[in-house]
Amino acid sequence: MKTLGIIVVLLFGSLLIYCTLDFPPWGDPQAPASMHVSPRYIERTMQETSVPNIVTAVLADYRGYDTMFETVVIFTAGVACFFLLRIFGRIESESRMYRHIPTGITLRISKDAEPPRESREFERIDLAWVPYDVVVKTSCRIIVPFCQLFALYVIAHGHHSPGGGFQGGVILGASVILFAISNNMRLSFTRISEKMAVLLCGLGVLIYAVTGALGTLLGSNYLDYGALSRLFGVDPVTARSLGILFVEIGVGITVMAVIITLYYNLASAGRHDEGL
Amino acid sequence: MNILVILLLFGGLFFFTGGSIGILRFPDFYTRLHPAGKLDTAGQFLTMSAISLYIMQDFTLHTFLTATKIVLIVIFVYLTSPTATHAIMDAGVRAGLKPWTKAGRHDLAD
Repeated sequence: MKTLGIIVVLLFGSLLIYCTLDFPPWGDPQAPASMHVSPRYIERTMQETSVPNIVTAVLADYRGYDTMFETVVIFTAGVACFFLLRIFGRIESESRMYRHIPTGITLRISKDAEPPRESREFERIDLAWVPYDVVVKTSCRIIVPFCQLFALYVIAHGHHSPGGGFQGGVILGASVILFAISNNMRLSFTRISEKMAVLLCGLGVLIYAVTGALGTLLGSNYLDYGALSRLFGVDPVTARSLGILFVEIGVGITVMAVIITLYYNLASAGRHDEGL
Repeated sequence: MNILVILLLFGGLFFFTGGSIGILRFPDFYTRLHPAGKLDTAGQFLTMSAISLYIMQDFTLHTFLTATKIVLIVIFVYLTSPTATHAIMDAGVRAGLKPWTKAGRHDLAD
């Protein structure tokens, strides 16, 4: 079986390498890609969309369909992970850990015993994360808000610098994961619950699709943001820039929510009771 | 001014080199984390301050803002790098990894 796999890999690998010989050389000005579309993007992006970062304009405007279905792919990945990993119904672990907050003593209580009543003196802690780590908790508390602020900056500043919805969404999701790691998963569920995360996954795609559909409603093509000018009362070029911003926000929300959903499902093995 | 920038850059590179050699040469997990955490932070501080000094040579609002961003990077690395090192150490201790001693490597085995 292993040799068969190696033979197949070698066969297809050599076929792919053979096909790359027909490619135009790297950076060839006569290559089809640099003959037709690239000069137009480079010359006219600024006057057509007023976005200095050509990559963002190509990504969200000229190739809006591509990016929309990329977002759908990410959404699908999140939903697939949810269906593969999520275990419904309660599976009680063998024992639970509680910490008595005033003294810092940890208690291990087996499955059948009666747990401490919900009071301010006891908090439930994860089996894998028993120590009370002030250093990690405090510095993550300082870092997380700046992390989120930077994520918003990356999303909003994608017009002018490298960045955009995908990168900003990943940073936003990472900040929530940092919060969940430094405290515990139950606390992060109180901030962004599972339901909220899954709903946000869909909301981002919806924002993208609705921004595109508004173009159709206002009388031009799907994902033609120039039509939004009538809605906002600005000229079509500024409307394109605004449309790109809305789309990036949608992408950011989806990516963030999918990252959080992936983390919740992977870290707790789908049970959503205890994290890492 | 340029001499100061060069000196700071070389100081930073010295710390980075020391950190890399330390990661390769130290005997076990905990001692390797020591150069990884400390020397990289120090080297980063020196190189970043060299860069911000170099930018600030023609002083405008724009260069001042860029230098402020670099200082912010330094501050955040000073917050996060020691915390990360601390957390990794903690994880190592909790996983039951024994520290290396001069007596011999048999301590690691049990």
